Amino acid sequence: MASNGRELGGVFDHHVQRAVCDTRAKYREGRRPRAVKVYTINLESRYLLIQGVPAVGAMKELVARFALYGAIEQYNALDEYPAEDFTEVYLIKFMNLQSARTAKRKMDEQSFFGGLLHVCYAPEFETVEETRKKLQERKAYIARTTKNKDHYMTQKKLVTEHKNTKNFRQDFHSETSGFCAAAVNTSTGNSDPCFPYSCELPLCYFSSKCTCSSGEHVDRASNSSQDGRNHDETGEHCNHKDSLQKMQIKTLKNSVACPGAQKAITPSEAVDRFMPRTTQLQERKRRRQDDRKLGTFFETSTSSNEVVIGPLLPDIPKVDMHDDSLNTTADLIRKKLKEVRSLKTCFKRLFDYITKWRIFCSNYSIVIDFFSFLIF
Amino acid sequence: MAQKPKVDPHVGRLGYLQALVTEFQETESEDAKEQVLANLANFAYDPSNYQYLRQLQVLDLFLDSLSEENETLVEFAIGGLCNLCSDKANKEHILQTGGVPLIINCLSSPNEETVLSAVTTIMYLSSPGSGSHPELTAMPVVQCMLRFSLSANTRLRNLAQIFLEDFCSPSQVAEARSWRAHSALGIPLPKTEAPQQP
Repeated sequence: MASNGRELGGVFDHHVQRAVCDTRAKYREGRRPRAVKVYTINLESRYLLIQGVPAVGAMKELVARFALYGAIEQYNALDEYPAEDFTEVYLIKFMNLQSARTAKRKMDEQSFFGGLLHVCYAPEFETVEETRKKLQERKAYIARTTKNKDHYMTQKKLVTEHKNTKNFRQDFHSETSGFCAAAVNTSTGNSDPCFPYSCELPLCYFSSKCTCSSGEHVDRASNSSQDGRNHDETGEHCNHKDSLQKMQIKTLKNSVACPGAQKAITPSEAVDRFMPRTTQLQERKRRRQDDRKLGTFFETSTSSNEVVIGPLLPDIPKVDMHDDSLNTTADLIRKKLKEVRSLKTCFKRLFDYITKWRIFCSNYSIVIDFFSFLIF
Repeated sequence: MAQKPKVDPHVGRLGYLQALVTEFQETESEDAKEQVLANLANFAYDPSNYQYLRQLQVLDLFLDSLSEENETLVEFAIGGLCNLCSDKANKEHILQTGGVPLIINCLSSPNEETVLSAVTTIMYLSSPGSGSHPELTAMPVVQCMLRFSLSANTRLRNLAQIFLEDFCSPSQVAEARSWRAHSALGIPLPKTEAPQQP
Protein backbone atom coordinates (compact mmCIF):
# COMPACT_ATOMS: atom_id res chain seq x y z
CA MET A 1 0.00 0.00 0.00
CA ALA A 2 2.71 2.42 -0.96
CA SER A 3 1.54 5.93 -1.35
CA ASN A 4 2.67 8.05 -4.24
CA GLY A 5 3.61 10.80 -1.87
CA ARG A 6 5.95 8.55 -0.05
CA GLU A 7 7.61 7.27 -3.14
CA LEU A 8 8.18 10.72 -4.44
CA GLY A 9 9.55 11.75 -1.11
CA GLY A 10 6.90 14.38 -0.45
CA VAL A 11 5.58 15.38 2.90
CA PHE A 12 1.85 15.91 3.04
CA ASP A 13 0.33 19.02 4.45
CA HIS A 14 -1.77 17.12 6.96
CA HIS A 15 1.35 15.43 8.35
CA VAL A 16 2.87 18.71 9.30
CA GLN A 17 2.42 19.67 12.89
CA ARG A 18 0.71 23.02 13.08
CA ALA A 19 1.69 25.69 15.54
CA VAL A 20 -0.37 25.92 18.66
CA CYS A 21 -2.86 28.77 18.73
CA ASP A 22 -2.15 31.35 21.41
CA THR A 23 -4.62 34.07 20.49
CA ARG A 24 -7.76 32.31 21.66
CA ALA A 25 -10.38 34.15 23.64
CA LYS A 26 -10.38 33.10 27.26
CA TYR A 27 -13.83 31.52 27.24
CA ARG A 28 -12.87 29.09 24.52
CA GLU A 29 -9.44 28.12 25.65
CA GLY A 30 -9.05 24.43 26.15
CA ARG A 31 -7.12 22.56 28.80
CA ARG A 32 -4.34 21.77 26.38
CA PRO A 33 -2.95 24.24 23.91
CA ARG A 34 -3.99 23.15 20.46
CA ALA A 35 -3.62 24.20 16.88
CA VAL A 36 -6.51 25.45 14.80
CA LYS A 37 -7.59 22.45 12.79
CA VAL A 38 -10.77 20.78 11.60
CA TYR A 39 -11.03 17.01 11.61
CA THR A 40 -13.35 15.39 9.12
CA ILE A 41 -13.94 11.76 8.33
CA ASN A 42 -11.65 12.23 5.33
CA LEU A 43 -8.73 13.12 7.47
CA GLU A 44 -9.25 10.46 10.12
CA SER A 45 -7.95 7.05 9.28
CA ARG A 46 -7.00 3.70 10.75
CA TYR A 47 -3.48 4.50 9.63
CA LEU A 48 -1.38 6.55 11.99
CA LEU A 49 1.93 8.10 11.12
CA ILE A 50 4.30 8.47 14.03
CA GLN A 51 7.19 10.84 13.65
CA GLY A 52 9.95 11.77 16.03
CA VAL A 53 10.60 8.25 17.28
CA PRO A 54 14.16 8.16 18.60
CA ALA A 55 16.28 5.79 16.53
CA VAL A 56 17.16 3.46 19.38
CA GLY A 57 15.64 0.28 18.02
CA ALA A 58 12.49 0.66 20.09
CA MET A 59 9.97 -0.42 17.48
CA LYS A 60 8.54 -3.20 19.61
CA GLU A 61 8.07 -0.92 22.59
CA LEU A 62 6.42 1.67 20.38
CA VAL A 63 3.98 -0.83 18.95
CA ALA A 64 3.28 -2.24 22.42
CA ARG A 65 2.51 1.27 23.66
CA PHE A 66 0.09 1.92 20.84
CA ALA A 67 -1.49 -1.50 21.18
CA LEU A 68 -2.91 -0.34 24.50
CA TYR A 69 -5.53 1.55 22.54
CA GLY A 70 -6.69 -1.26 20.31
CA ALA A 71 -5.68 -4.14 18.12
CA ILE A 72 -3.05 -3.33 15.54
CA GLU A 73 -3.35 -4.92 12.16
CA GLN A 74 0.07 -4.10 10.85
CA TYR A 75 3.00 -1.81 11.42
CA ASN A 76 6.21 -0.93 9.68
CA ALA A 77 8.93 1.65 9.60
CA LEU A 78 8.88 4.19 6.80
CA ASP A 79 12.49 4.47 5.84
CA GLU A 80 12.00 6.78 2.89
CA TYR A 81 9.93 9.26 4.84
CA PRO A 82 11.87 12.45 5.55
CA ALA A 83 12.73 12.48 9.22
CA GLU A 84 14.82 14.54 11.55
CA ASP A 85 18.28 13.28 12.42
CA PHE A 86 18.33 10.33 14.77
CA THR A 87 14.59 9.84 14.52
CA GLU A 88 12.47 7.34 12.67
CA VAL A 89 9.00 7.36 11.21
CA TYR A 90 6.55 4.52 11.68
CA LEU A 91 3.22 3.62 10.22
CA ILE A 92 0.71 1.75 12.38
CA LYS A 93 -2.57 0.41 11.08
CA PHE A 94 -5.30 -0.20 13.63
CA MET A 95 -8.11 -2.68 13.26
CA ASN A 96 -10.74 -0.03 13.80
CA LEU A 97 -11.00 3.69 13.45
CA GLN A 98 -12.03 4.43 17.00
CA SER A 99 -8.83 2.84 18.36
CA ALA A 100 -6.80 4.94 15.97
CA ARG A 101 -8.58 8.10 17.08
CA THR A 102 -8.00 7.33 20.73
CA ALA A 103 -4.38 6.41 20.16
CA LYS A 104 -3.78 9.58 18.20
CA ARG A 105 -5.34 11.75 20.87
CA LYS A 106 -3.49 10.10 23.70
CA MET A 107 -0.10 9.55 22.13
CA ASP A 108 0.37 12.79 20.26
CA GLU A 109 3.01 14.94 21.94
CA GLN A 110 3.85 12.16 24.36
CA SER A 111 7.38 11.50 25.37
CA PHE A 112 8.93 8.26 24.22
CA PHE A 113 12.48 7.23 24.93
CA GLY A 114 13.52 10.82 25.32
CA GLY A 115 11.78 12.16 22.25
CA LEU A 116 8.42 13.77 21.64
CA LEU A 117 6.17 11.81 19.36
CA HIS A 118 4.16 13.49 16.71
CA VAL A 119 1.20 11.36 15.73
CA CYS A 120 -1.03 12.14 12.78
CA TYR A 121 -3.46 10.37 10.52
CA ALA A 122 -2.27 8.96 7.23
CA PRO A 123 -5.35 8.44 5.07
CA GLU A 124 -3.28 8.36 1.90
CA PHE A 125 -2.31 4.81 2.78
CA GLU A 126 -5.89 3.63 2.53
CA THR A 127 -7.18 1.56 -0.33
CA VAL A 128 -10.37 2.51 -2.14
CA GLU A 129 -12.24 -0.19 -0.29
CA GLU A 130 -10.99 0.96 3.09
CA THR A 131 -12.02 4.54 2.36
CA ARG A 132 -15.42 3.39 1.17
CA LYS A 133 -15.93 1.32 4.30
CA LYS A 134 -14.84 4.23 6.47
CA LEU A 135 -17.38 6.59 4.91
CA GLN A 136 -20.16 4.03 5.15
CA GLU A 137 -19.43 3.33 8.80
CA ARG A 138 -19.56 7.02 9.60
CA LYS A 139 -22.90 7.34 7.86
CA ALA A 140 -24.27 4.31 9.67
CA TYR A 141 -23.03 5.63 12.99
CA ILE A 142 -24.81 8.94 12.53
CA ALA A 143 -28.00 7.21 11.41
CA ARG A 144 -27.86 4.96 14.45
CA THR A 145 -27.15 7.76 16.90
CA THR A 146 -29.83 10.09 15.60
CA LYS A 147 -32.33 7.26 15.45
CA ASN A 148 -31.64 6.44 19.10
CA LYS A 149 -31.99 10.08 20.01
CA ASP A 150 -35.31 10.37 18.19
CA HIS A 151 -36.54 7.25 19.93
CA TYR A 152 -35.45 8.62 23.26
CA MET A 153 -36.99 12.02 22.64
CA THR A 154 -40.41 10.50 21.85
CA GLN A 155 -40.16 8.34 24.95
CA LYS A 156 -39.18 11.32 27.03
CA LYS A 157 -42.23 13.27 25.85
CA LEU A 158 -44.48 10.45 27.00
CA VAL A 159 -42.82 10.46 30.35
CA THR A 160 -42.84 14.24 30.90
CA GLU A 161 -46.48 13.89 31.87
CA HIS A 162 -45.48 11.47 34.58
CA LYS A 163 -42.83 13.87 35.75
CA ASN A 164 -45.52 16.02 37.28
CA THR A 165 -46.01 13.64 40.13
CA LYS A 166 -42.30 13.90 40.73
CA ASN A 167 -42.66 17.66 40.79
CA PHE A 168 -45.36 17.46 43.40
CA ARG A 169 -43.24 15.19 45.45
CA GLN A 170 -40.42 17.68 45.19
CA ASP A 171 -42.74 20.46 46.26
CA PHE A 172 -43.94 18.25 49.04
CA HIS A 173 -40.44 17.78 50.31
CA SER A 174 -39.23 21.27 49.89
CA GLU A 175 -42.23 23.06 51.19
CA THR A 176 -43.00 21.18 54.36
CA SER A 177 -43.01 24.43 56.28
CA GLY A 178 -45.81 25.80 54.22
CA PHE A 179 -47.45 22.44 53.97
CA CYS A 180 -50.04 22.75 56.62
CA ALA A 181 -51.05 26.22 55.65
CA ALA A 182 -51.14 25.20 52.08
CA ALA A 183 -53.09 22.05 52.81
CA VAL A 184 -56.23 23.52 51.35
CA ASN A 185 -54.74 26.05 48.97
CA THR A 186 -52.18 23.83 47.41
CA SER A 187 -52.14 25.56 44.07
CA THR A 188 -50.14 28.51 45.29
CA GLY A 189 -47.51 26.23 46.73
CA ASN A 190 -47.16 24.42 43.48
CA SER A 191 -46.57 27.35 41.25
CA ASP A 192 -42.94 26.40 41.18
CA PRO A 193 -41.23 25.88 37.88
CA CYS A 194 -41.70 22.45 36.49
CA PHE A 195 -38.14 21.26 36.99
CA PRO A 196 -37.58 21.72 40.67
CA TYR A 197 -36.45 18.17 41.08
CA SER A 198 -34.06 17.83 38.23
CA CYS A 199 -32.55 21.28 38.46
CA GLU A 200 -31.30 20.72 41.96
CA LEU A 201 -29.20 17.74 41.20
CA PRO A 202 -25.82 17.59 39.56
CA LEU A 203 -26.84 16.52 36.10
CA CYS A 204 -24.58 15.91 33.34
CA TYR A 205 -22.90 13.30 31.72
CA PHE A 206 -20.81 14.23 28.78
CA SER A 207 -17.17 14.56 27.92
CA SER A 208 -15.72 17.51 29.73
CA LYS A 209 -13.30 18.27 26.89
CA CYS A 210 -16.04 19.30 24.52
CA THR A 211 -16.73 22.61 26.20
CA CYS A 212 -13.11 23.40 26.81
CA SER A 213 -11.37 22.61 23.59
CA SER A 214 -11.51 25.21 20.94
CA GLY A 215 -10.77 25.08 17.29
CA GLU A 216 -9.32 21.67 17.32
CA HIS A 217 -10.02 18.04 17.69
CA VAL A 218 -12.88 17.86 20.13
CA ASP A 219 -12.99 14.90 22.43
CA ARG A 220 -15.56 12.80 20.73
CA ALA A 221 -15.40 10.02 23.23
CA SER A 222 -18.80 11.29 24.27
CA ASN A 223 -20.13 9.51 21.21
CA SER A 224 -19.90 6.18 22.93
CA SER A 225 -21.33 7.56 26.11
CA GLN A 226 -24.41 8.94 24.39
CA ASP A 227 -25.71 5.49 23.60
CA GLY A 228 -25.22 4.27 27.08
CA ARG A 229 -27.30 6.94 28.73
CA ASN A 230 -29.42 5.86 31.63
CA HIS A 231 -32.86 7.29 32.08
CA ASP A 232 -33.79 5.55 35.25
CA GLU A 233 -35.13 8.65 36.93
CA THR A 234 -37.94 8.88 34.42
CA GLY A 235 -39.09 5.36 35.08
CA GLU A 236 -39.63 5.88 38.76
CA HIS A 237 -42.98 7.55 38.71
CA CYS A 238 -44.74 5.81 35.88
CA ASN A 239 -46.94 4.06 38.37
CA HIS A 240 -48.37 7.35 39.51
CA LYS A 241 -49.98 8.05 36.20
CA ASP A 242 -53.32 6.66 37.31
CA SER A 243 -53.32 8.68 40.50
CA LEU A 244 -52.84 11.83 38.43
CA GLN A 245 -56.03 11.19 36.58
CA LYS A 246 -58.01 10.87 39.78
CA MET A 247 -56.97 14.25 41.10
CA GLN A 248 -59.77 16.66 41.81
CA ILE A 249 -57.92 19.50 43.40
CA LYS A 250 -56.28 22.72 42.26
CA THR A 251 -52.90 21.14 41.81
CA LEU A 252 -54.27 19.33 38.79
CA LYS A 253 -54.43 22.66 36.97
CA ASN A 254 -50.78 23.18 37.54
CA SER A 255 -49.98 19.73 36.35
CA VAL A 256 -51.74 20.51 33.12
CA ALA A 257 -49.93 23.81 32.81
CA CYS A 258 -46.58 22.22 33.46
CA PRO A 259 -46.28 19.93 30.45
CA GLY A 260 -46.45 22.94 28.20
CA ALA A 261 -43.60 24.58 29.97
CA GLN A 262 -41.72 21.33 30.17
CA LYS A 263 -42.03 20.71 26.49
CA ALA A 264 -40.82 24.18 25.76
CA ILE A 265 -37.75 23.64 27.83
CA THR A 266 -37.10 20.06 26.78
CA PRO A 267 -35.97 20.67 23.20
CA SER A 268 -33.42 23.25 24.13
CA GLU A 269 -32.23 21.44 27.22
CA ALA A 270 -32.38 18.49 25.00
CA VAL A 271 -31.16 15.24 25.97
CA ASP A 272 -30.63 13.12 28.83
CA ARG A 273 -30.22 13.77 32.43
CA PHE A 274 -28.20 10.89 33.66
CA MET A 275 -28.10 10.73 37.40
CA PRO A 276 -24.96 9.16 38.73
CA ARG A 277 -25.53 6.43 41.22
CA THR A 278 -24.00 8.38 44.12
CA THR A 279 -26.51 11.13 43.48
CA GLN A 280 -29.33 8.62 43.50
CA LEU A 281 -28.18 7.30 46.85
CA GLN A 282 -27.93 10.82 48.20
CA GLU A 283 -31.34 11.60 46.83
CA ARG A 284 -32.90 8.58 48.51
CA LYS A 285 -31.24 9.53 51.76
CA ARG A 286 -32.59 13.04 51.45
CA ARG A 287 -36.07 11.73 50.78
CA ARG A 288 -35.89 9.47 53.81
CA GLN A 289 -34.84 12.39 55.96
CA ASP A 290 -37.61 14.53 54.58
CA ASP A 291 -40.13 11.80 55.22
CA ARG A 292 -38.94 11.55 58.76
CA LYS A 293 -39.22 15.30 59.16
CA LEU A 294 -42.63 15.16 57.66
CA GLY A 295 -43.63 12.42 60.02
CA THR A 296 -42.71 14.53 63.02
CA PHE A 297 -44.33 17.54 61.41
CA PHE A 298 -47.56 15.69 60.97
CA GLU A 299 -47.69 14.80 64.60
CA THR A 300 -47.80 18.49 65.42
CA SER A 301 -50.04 19.38 62.52
CA THR A 302 -52.75 16.90 63.34
CA SER A 303 -52.90 18.22 66.86
CA SER A 304 -53.64 21.76 65.58
CA ASN A 305 -57.10 22.85 64.58
CA GLU A 306 -56.91 22.49 60.86
CA VAL A 307 -59.85 21.83 58.60
CA VAL A 308 -59.83 18.18 57.72
CA ILE A 309 -61.32 17.32 54.38
CA GLY A 310 -62.38 13.79 53.90
CA PRO A 311 -64.07 11.09 55.94
CA LEU A 312 -63.38 11.12 59.63
CA LEU A 313 -62.23 7.66 60.52
CA PRO A 314 -63.69 6.08 63.64
CA ASP A 315 -61.49 6.34 66.68
CA ILE A 316 -59.78 3.22 67.78
CA PRO A 317 -61.66 1.94 70.88
CA LYS A 318 -59.52 1.74 73.96
CA VAL A 319 -59.37 -1.60 75.71
CA ASP A 320 -57.89 -2.06 79.11
CA MET A 321 -55.59 -5.06 79.17
CA HIS A 322 -55.52 -5.14 82.95
CA ASP A 323 -51.78 -5.19 82.71
CA ASP A 324 -49.47 -2.23 82.72
CA SER A 325 -46.95 -3.49 80.22
CA LEU A 326 -49.62 -4.66 77.81
CA ASN A 327 -51.42 -1.35 78.13
CA THR A 328 -48.23 0.51 77.37
CA THR A 329 -47.68 -1.59 74.30
CA ALA A 330 -51.30 -1.15 73.21
CA ASP A 331 -51.07 2.61 73.70
CA LEU A 332 -47.95 2.73 71.62
CA ILE A 333 -49.59 0.83 68.83
CA ARG A 334 -52.71 2.98 69.01
CA LYS A 335 -50.57 6.08 68.80
CA LYS A 336 -48.74 4.75 65.78
CA LEU A 337 -52.00 3.79 64.12
CA LYS A 338 -53.35 7.28 64.63
CA GLU A 339 -50.19 8.72 63.20
CA VAL A 340 -50.32 6.46 60.21
CA ARG A 341 -53.98 7.12 59.60
CA SER A 342 -53.56 10.87 59.76
CA LEU A 343 -50.69 10.59 57.33
CA LYS A 344 -52.88 8.49 55.11
CA THR A 345 -55.66 11.05 55.09
CA CYS A 346 -53.25 13.80 54.42
CA PHE A 347 -51.73 11.98 51.53
CA LYS A 348 -55.12 11.00 50.22
CA ARG A 349 -56.37 14.49 50.58
CA LEU A 350 -53.58 16.11 48.68
CA PHE A 351 -52.08 13.63 46.30
CA ASP A 352 -53.96 10.43 46.46
CA TYR A 353 -50.51 9.08 46.91
CA ILE A 354 -51.79 5.58 47.37
CA THR A 355 -48.71 3.80 46.28
CA LYS A 356 -46.42 5.70 48.56
CA TRP A 357 -48.87 5.15 51.38
CA ARG A 358 -48.76 1.46 50.77
CA ILE A 359 -44.99 1.36 50.90
CA PHE A 360 -44.91 3.74 53.83
CA CYS A 361 -47.45 1.80 55.80
CA SER A 362 -46.12 -1.60 55.08
CA ASN A 363 -43.70 -1.08 57.91
CA TYR A 364 -46.57 -0.55 60.27
CA SER A 365 -49.04 -3.03 58.87
CA ILE A 366 -47.03 -5.93 60.15
CA VAL A 367 -47.15 -4.48 63.66
CA ILE A 368 -50.86 -3.66 63.33
CA ASP A 369 -51.71 -7.14 62.11
CA PHE A 370 -49.83 -8.73 64.88
CA PHE A 371 -51.34 -6.73 67.69
CA SER A 372 -54.82 -6.33 66.27
CA PHE A 373 -56.10 -9.31 68.12
CA LEU A 374 -55.02 -7.65 71.34
CA ILE A 375 -56.68 -4.35 70.71
CA PHE A 376 -59.81 -5.17 68.78
CA MET B 1 -13.14 7.07 29.12
CA ALA B 2 -13.85 8.99 32.30
CA GLN B 3 -16.78 11.33 32.10
CA LYS B 4 -16.75 14.07 34.66
CA PRO B 5 -20.19 15.19 35.81
CA LYS B 6 -20.98 18.81 35.41
CA VAL B 7 -24.00 20.87 36.24
CA ASP B 8 -26.54 21.21 33.46
CA PRO B 9 -24.16 20.64 30.58
CA HIS B 10 -26.61 20.79 27.74
CA VAL B 11 -27.82 24.22 28.62
CA GLY B 12 -24.14 25.09 28.94
CA ARG B 13 -23.42 23.53 25.57
CA LEU B 14 -26.10 25.53 23.84
CA GLY B 15 -24.91 28.68 25.54
CA TYR B 16 -21.33 27.99 24.51
CA LEU B 17 -22.29 27.37 20.90
CA GLN B 18 -24.35 30.52 20.93
CA ALA B 19 -21.35 32.45 22.24
CA LEU B 20 -19.27 31.08 19.39
CA VAL B 21 -21.81 32.07 16.78
CA THR B 22 -22.14 35.53 18.27
CA GLU B 23 -18.38 36.00 18.29
CA PHE B 24 -18.15 34.87 14.69
CA GLN B 25 -20.75 37.38 13.62
CA GLU B 26 -19.36 40.28 15.61
CA THR B 27 -15.62 39.91 15.53
CA GLU B 28 -13.45 41.74 13.03
CA SER B 29 -10.38 39.61 13.59
CA GLU B 30 -9.82 37.05 10.84
CA ASP B 31 -7.91 34.83 13.26
CA ALA B 32 -10.81 34.76 15.69
CA LYS B 33 -13.20 33.94 12.86
CA GLU B 34 -11.02 31.03 11.78
CA GLN B 35 -10.72 29.72 15.31
CA VAL B 36 -14.44 29.95 15.96
CA LEU B 37 -15.35 28.36 12.65
CA ALA B 38 -12.92 25.51 13.28
CA ASN B 39 -14.45 25.05 16.71
CA LEU B 40 -17.96 24.89 15.26
CA ALA B 41 -16.85 22.52 12.50
CA ASN B 42 -15.39 20.18 15.09
CA PHE B 43 -18.59 20.33 17.12
CA ALA B 44 -20.40 19.35 13.94
CA TYR B 45 -18.69 15.98 14.12
CA ASP B 46 -20.70 14.92 17.16
CA PRO B 47 -24.34 14.05 16.40
CA SER B 48 -25.43 15.09 19.87
CA ASN B 49 -24.85 18.72 18.88
CA TYR B 50 -26.94 18.69 15.73
CA GLN B 51 -30.12 20.01 17.26
CA TYR B 52 -28.26 22.93 18.81
CA LEU B 53 -26.46 23.65 15.57
CA ARG B 54 -29.74 23.64 13.67
CA GLN B 55 -31.32 25.83 16.30
CA LEU B 56 -28.48 28.33 16.04
CA GLN B 57 -28.57 28.15 12.23
CA VAL B 58 -24.97 27.09 12.09
CA LEU B 59 -25.69 25.18 8.89
CA ASP B 60 -26.53 28.44 7.19
CA LEU B 61 -23.43 29.96 8.72
CA PHE B 62 -21.32 27.23 7.13
CA LEU B 63 -23.01 27.65 3.77
CA ASP B 64 -22.51 31.41 3.87
CA SER B 65 -18.87 30.99 4.76
CA LEU B 66 -18.31 29.00 1.59
CA SER B 67 -18.42 32.28 -0.29
CA GLU B 68 -15.73 33.89 1.84
CA GLU B 69 -12.52 35.01 0.23
CA ASN B 70 -10.42 33.62 3.03
CA GLU B 71 -9.57 30.09 1.92
CA THR B 72 -9.12 28.88 5.46
CA LEU B 73 -12.67 29.88 6.30
CA VAL B 74 -13.92 28.00 3.25
CA GLU B 75 -11.89 24.95 4.25
CA PHE B 76 -13.29 24.94 7.76
CA ALA B 77 -16.85 25.61 6.61
CA ILE B 78 -16.91 22.79 4.09
CA GLY B 79 -15.27 20.59 6.71
CA GLY B 80 -18.09 21.38 9.08
CA LEU B 81 -20.67 20.60 6.41
CA CYS B 82 -18.90 17.34 5.60
CA ASN B 83 -19.08 16.37 9.26
CA LEU B 84 -22.78 16.95 9.67
CA CYS B 85 -24.34 16.41 6.27
CA SER B 86 -24.92 12.67 6.56
CA ASP B 87 -27.60 13.32 9.16
CA LYS B 88 -31.03 13.19 7.54
CA ALA B 89 -32.38 16.46 8.92
CA ASN B 90 -29.20 18.36 8.14
CA LYS B 91 -29.10 16.90 4.65
CA GLU B 92 -32.64 18.07 3.92
CA HIS B 93 -31.87 21.51 5.21
CA ILE B 94 -28.81 21.84 2.99
CA LEU B 95 -30.67 20.61 -0.08
CA GLN B 96 -33.66 22.84 0.54
CA THR B 97 -31.67 25.99 1.16
CA GLY B 98 -29.83 25.66 -2.13
CA GLY B 99 -26.48 24.68 -0.69
CA VAL B 100 -25.59 22.31 -3.51
CA PRO B 101 -24.21 24.88 -6.00
CA LEU B 102 -22.03 26.37 -3.26
CA ILE B 103 -20.61 22.97 -2.41
CA ILE B 104 -19.96 22.13 -6.05
CA ASN B 105 -18.06 25.40 -6.36
CA CYS B 106 -15.69 24.17 -3.71
CA LEU B 107 -14.53 21.46 -6.09
CA SER B 108 -12.50 24.09 -7.87
CA SER B 109 -10.72 25.30 -4.77
CA PRO B 110 -6.93 25.21 -4.78
CA ASN B 111 -7.02 23.87 -1.24
CA GLU B 112 -6.73 20.09 -1.03
CA GLU B 113 -8.75 19.65 2.14
CA THR B 114 -11.55 21.82 0.76
CA VAL B 115 -11.86 19.69 -2.33
CA LEU B 116 -11.78 16.46 -0.35
CA SER B 117 -14.45 17.69 2.01
CA ALA B 118 -16.55 18.88 -0.91
CA VAL B 119 -16.37 15.50 -2.63
CA THR B 120 -17.34 13.72 0.57
CA THR B 121 -20.18 16.16 1.21
CA ILE B 122 -21.53 15.57 -2.28
CA MET B 123 -21.38 11.84 -1.67
CA TYR B 124 -23.21 12.08 1.62
CA LEU B 125 -25.87 14.31 0.11
CA SER B 126 -26.49 11.88 -2.75
CA SER B 127 -28.14 8.55 -2.31
CA PRO B 128 -26.37 5.65 -3.97
CA GLY B 129 -27.82 4.55 -7.27
CA SER B 130 -30.38 7.06 -8.44
CA GLY B 131 -29.39 10.58 -7.39
CA SER B 132 -31.71 12.24 -4.90
CA HIS B 133 -30.69 15.61 -6.24
CA PRO B 134 -29.93 15.80 -9.95
CA GLU B 135 -27.42 18.62 -9.53
CA LEU B 136 -25.19 16.34 -7.50
CA THR B 137 -24.58 14.01 -10.42
CA ALA B 138 -24.75 16.60 -13.18
CA MET B 139 -22.32 16.40 -16.07
CA PRO B 140 -19.79 18.97 -14.82
CA VAL B 141 -19.57 17.17 -11.48
CA VAL B 142 -19.08 13.76 -13.07
CA GLN B 143 -16.47 15.15 -15.39
CA CYS B 144 -14.70 16.72 -12.47
CA MET B 145 -14.70 13.44 -10.63
CA LEU B 146 -13.29 11.70 -13.68
CA ARG B 147 -10.35 14.06 -13.64
CA PHE B 148 -9.89 13.60 -9.93
CA SER B 149 -9.84 9.84 -10.40
CA LEU B 150 -6.63 10.28 -12.40
CA SER B 151 -4.99 12.53 -9.83
CA ALA B 152 -1.68 11.79 -8.17
CA ASN B 153 -3.30 12.54 -4.85
CA THR B 154 -4.29 9.17 -3.42
CA ARG B 155 -7.00 10.49 -1.17
CA LEU B 156 -8.64 12.42 -3.96
CA ARG B 157 -8.28 9.54 -6.34
CA ASN B 158 -9.91 7.13 -3.91
CA LEU B 159 -12.82 9.43 -3.18
CA ALA B 160 -13.43 10.18 -6.85
CA GLN B 161 -13.40 6.50 -7.66
CA ILE B 162 -15.94 5.75 -4.94
CA PHE B 163 -18.16 8.55 -6.24
CA LEU B 164 -18.03 7.27 -9.78
CA GLU B 165 -18.63 3.67 -8.78
CA ASP B 166 -21.31 4.15 -6.14
CA PHE B 167 -23.13 7.36 -6.98
CA CYS B 168 -23.07 7.55 -10.76
CA SER B 169 -24.63 5.23 -13.25
CA PRO B 170 -22.30 3.67 -15.84
CA SER B 171 -24.06 5.60 -18.60
CA GLN B 172 -23.35 8.88 -16.86
CA VAL B 173 -19.69 7.98 -16.55
CA ALA B 174 -19.50 6.90 -20.18
CA GLU B 175 -21.14 10.11 -21.28
CA ALA B 176 -18.79 12.18 -19.21
CA ARG B 177 -15.84 10.34 -20.74
CA SER B 178 -16.98 11.09 -24.22
CA TRP B 179 -17.61 14.72 -23.29
CA ARG B 180 -14.13 15.04 -21.86
CA ALA B 181 -12.62 14.49 -25.19
CA HIS B 182 -14.37 17.54 -26.58
CA SER B 183 -14.88 20.17 -23.90
CA ALA B 184 -12.25 22.30 -22.21
CA LEU B 185 -12.49 21.51 -18.55
CA GLY B 186 -12.18 24.47 -16.25
CA ILE B 187 -11.96 22.73 -12.93
CA PRO B 188 -8.29 22.56 -12.01
CA LEU B 189 -6.80 19.97 -9.72
CA PRO B 190 -5.95 21.16 -6.25
CA LYS B 191 -2.38 22.08 -5.47
CA THR B 192 -0.57 19.45 -3.48
CA GLU B 193 3.00 19.09 -2.35
CA ALA B 194 3.50 16.01 -4.46
CA PRO B 195 4.07 16.90 -8.10
CA GLN B 196 1.76 15.44 -10.70
CA GLN B 197 2.61 12.26 -12.48
CA PRO B 198 3.89 12.89 -15.98
